[in-house]
Amino acid sequence: MLLQRIHVEKGAYYDSVTLMLVARELQSMEGIEEASLNMATEANLKILAAAGFGVSDIQAGQSDLLIAVRGDGSVLEAAIERARELLKNPPGRKSTPGEYRPKSLDGALSMLPEANMALISIAGRYAGDEADKCLDAGLHVMLYSDNVPIEKEISLKNKAKEKGLLVMGPDCGTAVIRGVGLGFANACPTGPVGLVAAAGTGLQEVHVQLARRGVGVLHAIGTGGRDVKEEVGGITFSMGSEALLCDEEIRVVVLIGKPPAPSVEERILRILEGGKKPAAVGFIGGKASGDKPPLYLCRELEETAAVAAALANGKDPSSAREELFKSYERLKEKAAPMKRKGFIRGLYSGGTLCYEAQLIATGLIGSVYSNAPLASEMKLADSLKSRGHTMVDYGEDEFTQGRLHPMMDSTFRAERLLSESQDPDVGVILFDCVLGYGCHPNPAGQMAEAVEKARKKAGGRIAYVAYVCGVDADPQGATEQRKILEEAGVTVCDSNAEAARLACYIVG
Amino acid sequence: MREMTVSELLKNGPKVINIGVEQFYEDLKSQEVPVVQLDWRPPAVNSELLSKLRRLRGGGKS
Repeated sequence: MLLQRIHVEKGAYYDSVTLMLVARELQSMEGIEEASLNMATEANLKILAAAGFGVSDIQAGQSDLLIAVRGDGSVLEAAIERARELLKNPPGRKSTPGEYRPKSLDGALSMLPEANMALISIAGRYAGDEADKCLDAGLHVMLYSDNVPIEKEISLKNKAKEKGLLVMGPDCGTAVIRGVGLGFANACPTGPVGLVAAAGTGLQEVHVQLARRGVGVLHAIGTGGRDVKEEVGGITFSMGSEALLCDEEIRVVVLIGKPPAPSVEERILRILEGGKKPAAVGFIGGKASGDKPPLYLCRELEETAAVAAALANGKDPSSAREELFKSYERLKEKAAPMKRKGFIRGLYSGGTLCYEAQLIATGLIGSVYSNAPLASEMKLADSLKSRGHTMVDYGEDEFTQGRLHPMMDSTFRAERLLSESQDPDVGVILFDCVLGYGCHPNPAGQMAEAVEKARKKAGGRIAYVAYVCGVDADPQGATEQRKILEEAGVTVCDSNAEAARLACYIVG
Repeated sequence: MREMTVSELLKNGPKVINIGVEQFYEDLKSQEVPVVQLDWRPPAVNSELLSKLRRLRGGGKS
């Protein structure tokens, strides 16, 4: 008979990644069916209750840790002990044991007096206040955390602006400063291009596509998606653009994001029009397009990279654009022998990649359902149940509460791949594998395993199409990751835009 | 004076205090970036309450 236990560890705080890694270790123990480690917040108690754990007697607050285990009664105690052991030296921690960790910002600053920036990835309800302290200490801030209220974002950014400091985020997953990758970032070469991006995987895709074309990026400033909303007014986007225009090492500026609020877009474009540098503007899905030097307006991510690469190499951007769209036309020939009947099911770890794929598919084969749709009427009633053509963004909050971001762990997405393959109406399964610092060591392996299982069950009824967003210098190695997928029978494309088009041509 | 402009940050490169996810600290170390990991813990009481208490202790002075 299965039993369960919840152990409360008073006043013990650990980051979510550590907790997930320890939970995963416990789940691999014989006799353990389920294990989770969470801070005792109200939301987490609800999740535990929904998972069938009795939480009504739990005496714990949000500064306490809950170790919840279910399984064979004889191993529950041992599992809790194992968790406490692992937390002393968490899996994945490579640091020297005994390495001193300051407990306060002042302590950290006395250890690294030359510090100029803070990277903050604690729970959103605390992150804003910590960012405030860091600004007071004169540090630039990258706020990886999400769930920071927009009012707090506005006050942080206004304060930072007055001090001449940058606040990247909240919800800024990726940045590159002087070639150094922060958060989820790819190990691409440095070069004459500077990016400002309000879209995390959009930034990664353009970074990678520039690298494919032999062009490096020196800085990529992330702003967080809300920065270009009317309320925030593009404070970080404007400061970043101005800094890149002034930077003597930058020859080409690239902007990336979903279309900003009209007033913000106007402000940003005015800054660039006044500069003396060519700028590729990739407001994905925006209405503006065409070349109005020094601005080159693009609608897709790879297109933005192709135009920026041409500008950096002194070539004609419009021919680069034409060339790219001709190459997309040739995908129809590639798709001809792969034809399938049925719907596309897209399973994405990258939010901007999912958004771009929806834009492309909507143009080619009609509307696409999603948990993060282009239009509200295409929102899935249940994100776990696809209908028609569906593309799911697994990085949305609903999937990351109590779980690792899919770029850090694709287990949940791989399970969905397997269940989609059981649907007789499915013709193509499309997905991404995002590589780089901070990401899972082998996302292709996780997805390939699911594809192999799916192929055994569904035979050749379904075509599998993927895109690996990364470069060979990334910790996972892009060529290696592609090979793993190809050996599992997946057709791997060279860009997100290409993968989305190929999927459409296969069923179209 | 620690405060430096955005241009100075871009010119000098990042030297980082990491507050949160340990993996980001490891990734920065692997890129040979000067970085310190803060052993961050949630505050015992929320900051709003703390500032109210401070105001009370300060005898009405804010």
